[in-house]
Amino acid sequence: MPITTITRRRLLAGSAAALALPAIARAQSAVKPRLTVISQWSAGSDGAAITALGKKFEEKGGIWQHSPVPGFTTEMMNKLRAQIIAGDPPACSQLKGPEIAAWSKIAPTVNLDALVAAAGYEKVVAPDLARLHKPGGKWISLPLQIYSTNMLFLSKRAMDKAKADKIPVTWADFNDLAEKMKASGITYPIANGGTRPDDGQKFEASLAGISPTVYRAAIMNLDKKALEGPEIKAAFAQVRKIADWSDPNVGAQPYATNLKRFVDGEMGMLIMGGWAQGVLRNAGFKFDDYVIAPGPSDNTKPVFLLNADAFIFWQRKEADLQAGQTLMAQLVMDPAIQTMYSQITGSIPVRTDVDLSGEGWSDGQRRTAAALKDAVANNQAVLSLAHNMAQENGLTAAMIDVITEYVKNKTITPEQAVTRLADAVEGAR
Amino acid sequence: MRDRALAPSRILIYFVVSLMAAAWLAPLVVVVLNSLRTNEEIAQASMIGWPKHWAWSNYAAAWSGFCVAETCAGIRPYMLNSALVTIPATIFSTLLGAIAGYAVSLWRFRGDSWIYGIVTLGLFLPQQMRLLPWTIVLRDIGLINTLTGLVLIHTIQGLSFTTLFCRNYYVAIPHELIRAARIDGAGFFRIFWRIILPLSSPILIVTVIWQFTHIWNEFLYGVTFTTGQQQPVTAALIALSAAIADIPKHGVQSAAVIIAALPTLLIYLFGGRYFVRGLTAGAVK
Repeated sequence: MPITTITRRRLLAGSAAALALPAIARAQSAVKPRLTVISQWSAGSDGAAITALGKKFEEKGGIWQHSPVPGFTTEMMNKLRAQIIAGDPPACSQLKGPEIAAWSKIAPTVNLDALVAAAGYEKVVAPDLARLHKPGGKWISLPLQIYSTNMLFLSKRAMDKAKADKIPVTWADFNDLAEKMKASGITYPIANGGTRPDDGQKFEASLAGISPTVYRAAIMNLDKKALEGPEIKAAFAQVRKIADWSDPNVGAQPYATNLKRFVDGEMGMLIMGGWAQGVLRNAGFKFDDYVIAPGPSDNTKPVFLLNADAFIFWQRKEADLQAGQTLMAQLVMDPAIQTMYSQITGSIPVRTDVDLSGEGWSDGQRRTAAALKDAVANNQAVLSLAHNMAQENGLTAAMIDVITEYVKNKTITPEQAVTRLADAVEGAR
Repeated sequence: MRDRALAPSRILIYFVVSLMAAAWLAPLVVVVLNSLRTNEEIAQASMIGWPKHWAWSNYAAAWSGFCVAETCAGIRPYMLNSALVTIPATIFSTLLGAIAGYAVSLWRFRGDSWIYGIVTLGLFLPQQMRLLPWTIVLRDIGLINTLTGLVLIHTIQGLSFTTLFCRNYYVAIPHELIRAARIDGAGFFRIFWRIILPLSSPILIVTVIWQFTHIWNEFLYGVTFTTGQQQPVTAALIALSAAIADIPKHGVQSAAVIIAALPTLLIYLFGGRYFVRGLTAGAVK
């Protein structure tokens, strides 16, 4: 029985592709823009933000066809690959980091240079970030929003308990404060979780805080000498301290399970992305319960570990989809749209020229944006390893394997960890 | 009898069994309790706890409220999609598997054991390995992004398992039965229909339970070969749980998980006692 339906469908699909679409494309010069989008964003503030973006697209007269692929990045990649093989790539899909360069070799992408130039976008994007989105020198994708993965959250009640009021600037300050908290009866001064990205964040925050230059050489450029250097060992030593101050019972749970204890002052500090703010707010906690500052940096200037979401644009022949891509690109670069998006998700805009002093922005977002500006000025904005910005998935996974094992297994020494990390990089290349 | 019921060994057995049952059921208890607590309550207290007030609204939100991006219809439409894939695929794969198992166990033809071997080889191929070949097949027959395509996939992939189990069950049937029927003039399908099928209910129940559970719980193909509104219930569940930038909504998640698990749970409740019986019947030979 399925055989007959197959043949009929096949015939229909074949004739539609052969006749209908090019005819429509030729007949209508002024088409209604249409956009097919694949993203992971389906739930919570992510889902709300992409829905709001779709509404804006429709307000401009477009047809918005979003297909969320819930789950992890792998699922979305499978879906994307299936669509590309089927000859039906989405007009636009969510993709980030070095995967943009890797995937752009699989199917033809759209050259957005003219649109980017018209919007004057390149001037207002952090240079490392811009480079990621124009592999081969051409803009084929556009960043949409930014998170810093190394913001420092301090529990007000824990600070009061420890009788501390100074926000730590360097790792030495941070360690002093943790000791002080411990001495005042706080068993676990650190409130981080135990997921893979969480462990990765502990490491990247440590290394970038010790030396952003070495971070760039070792993690982003995989320089062998830097990877085996003393800074990496120091970073692992700092990670061990953080692990020792954390609740070992957290296992592989997300940091969110500790938020209540953090706010109550049973735990003192959290190194997390700016998104934790939105999570704290949604859980019913107040802004007065905690302070947000840039993560520790030994040269005292803020270090910004960049995590950015982006859209890549796939070549389509249909005139309505092409019009949709133009409209979408203009929307994504628009400061008003970036403002709307970031205010929903708790991120900060990609554009460094957006004014965050107005209503609708939180203190934490303003501090994050200021930290980005400072970090860019001092060349201390680097790409996050834990959130797949610094390396492709395979290499990232190999490195995080080493880091997460080190966090959980305290018999591994920092020296051994350095060798293991270098070996893992060598093996995965 | 009464003496034996009170014997220390009996008490020990019941004690150990109850302990194991409690350990086994503990996660379910947590899920059921959390399905009746508000998200705020869970976030501010702990994952494990007694509901302060019964939050039945979680079930309403799970069934028809929560949003997957632009669509706020809860789990309901996705349950229907899963049913539309699972029910036909279970029926087709079970029937075809029974015929195939009958053919390779009770009929001799050239290469029969080879065919059996190749069909069951499918059991050892990981899902991910078959993803790209299926993409190409679905593209060429024009069934990508359709529920019919998923039915086709699950029917064909289910054959490895259903053939294996039916074959193992049918080899126990005496060949004299088949020979007698052939002398009476019955052909391949008549023997299957009149003699084999009436004997098959235990193994058919096993394969139905197995196929139904697997297809219902399947995620990878369901999410890769459908789009938007056609996604199966597993995709909706993941959509509800995979938000790194948000506090987990344990209350609604728990309610949704319970609703989504109900069909497989019911199948087990009604067919469960046949399950073990059918499995062992097949395993002996």
